[in-house]
Amino acid sequence: MSEYVFALAVNGLVWGLIIALIALGLSIIFGLLDIINVAHGDFFMLGTVGGLVVAVGTGSFWLALLVVPIVGLLLGAVIERLVIRPTLRQASLTIVTTFGLSIIVQEMVRATYGPQPRRMAAPIEGTVPVFGIDYEIYRIAAAAFAAVCLIVFFLFLNRTRLGTWIRAARHDPETATALGVPVTRVCAFTFALGTAMALLGGVIAAPITTVEFRTGVDILPFCFMAVIIGGLGNLQGTVAAAIMLAVLEGLMTSVLEPTSARILSLGFMCAVLLVRPHGLFAGATR
Amino acid sequence: MLSVSGLTAEIGKVPVLRGVDLTVREADTVALLGRNGVGKTSTLRAILGLLRRTGGSVVYDGTPLDRVPTHRLAAMGVGYVPQGRGIFPLLTVEENLLLGAPAKADPQAREEIYRRFPRIRERLRQRAGTLSGGEQQMLAIARCLVMRPKLIILDEPTEGIMPKLVAQIRHEIAGIARQGISVLLVEQNLRTALRLAKRIYLMERGQIVHEGTPESLQADPDIVHRYLGVSLKDLKGARQ
Repeated sequence: MSEYVFALAVNGLVWGLIIALIALGLSIIFGLLDIINVAHGDFFMLGTVGGLVVAVGTGSFWLALLVVPIVGLLLGAVIERLVIRPTLRQASLTIVTTFGLSIIVQEMVRATYGPQPRRMAAPIEGTVPVFGIDYEIYRIAAAAFAAVCLIVFFLFLNRTRLGTWIRAARHDPETATALGVPVTRVCAFTFALGTAMALLGGVIAAPITTVEFRTGVDILPFCFMAVIIGGLGNLQGTVAAAIMLAVLEGLMTSVLEPTSARILSLGFMCAVLLVRPHGLFAGATR
Repeated sequence: MLSVSGLTAEIGKVPVLRGVDLTVREADTVALLGRNGVGKTSTLRAILGLLRRTGGSVVYDGTPLDRVPTHRLAAMGVGYVPQGRGIFPLLTVEENLLLGAPAKADPQAREEIYRRFPRIRERLRQRAGTLSGGEQQMLAIARCLVMRPKLIILDEPTEGIMPKLVAQIRHEIAGIARQGISVLLVEQNLRTALRLAKRIYLMERGQIVHEGTPESLQADPDIVHRYLGVSLKDLKGARQ
């Protein structure tokens, strides 16, 4: 029993690290552009579908891991210009536009890729013994890769000029503009980066999840919960909340149905909001 | 250096500027004074393009700014110290200082800044939000200077600063002016404006209603009382 619970906790940790990557994308977009991006889960789904299509088409998962996020960056830049920028700073309107975008993306994938769910073979096969259980090597590799991506993201944000511009523009876009920061371009890049992170998370998750046009519908509420519990716009808080939630849900599924575990997670989020309306890590570093 | 003519602007549908005319010449120090809500900050924001201009013209260094995006102004030599200092509290002092500086910031300019503001050098790695109000104002001024500006626009630089530090900020602004950098200064503090400015504009309801020198203003207490609501008697000796 204890091995089973441990396996669920490790699964939660793996999933939490991948979710953290996707939720971070959602969080930086919200933090800088004030956009509640309802289509973010569908960008994740595009990553899973794109990963499967490229991996099957070229025979290389690793090529998919490289190409799909780059396509995500370009796609994000185009969507920012055509869909987001015209409605920028009108939060309620962006919910409507990104909801429309979500439906368009899902239906386009259903029309081209098909409605049937598919599974993708893990690029690294085999298991390793971890504290008495045989654990899939790919899941460990996926968690490690997601963790590396998170570290690279924070290094980029804290150590590069563009990262400094993003942090400055998040705090006070007007003053940043007056000081010479091209805030419009910074916003476009941030949206593109957030989109690319969702697609990257999708490629990493493709071999451990079901690949279909509605995959994003499940992931979006979980990302929102991580962003809300972490403290809106608090990036480190988002990562911590994503991992914490995924591990907790993983553990809860040892005694509950997944749906019941999700209900309890939502209950936890409500409790957090009642006690700390700005999230668990409000006031911490943004 | 800067010529503003017939400048109009609105916030929502409410006109806040109704044809502002002012000029800042090279190496000039100009103060824009007026009561709260007459449009001083709006004038600065409209000049910089932060508030959409609905009419009139702004020409800087011979270039009309109609089609120049705001973020390009810093590279053209326009420095800005916003009201409330505009410091990014979660960025380090160094990140604040170099935020708008060119990618390969002039090391000599940085050294000059460190000599001038030794407290900044001591606190480079510290979060800017941990600085005192006076130190933050110094940082905001230093952040402009590191870009080697030709014109600095300051919006109420002494607002909310401890009285003993106001003199230090005045001293820094006077030093900037001595370097030959043009200064456009919005002030509530008449004493500061009289000490620093070569020319003073008075604003009322979104328009310039009076232009003069500090001397001419001091010679006309009625004007000062009418547009600023203060008595010059209280400021006797302000130029000394």
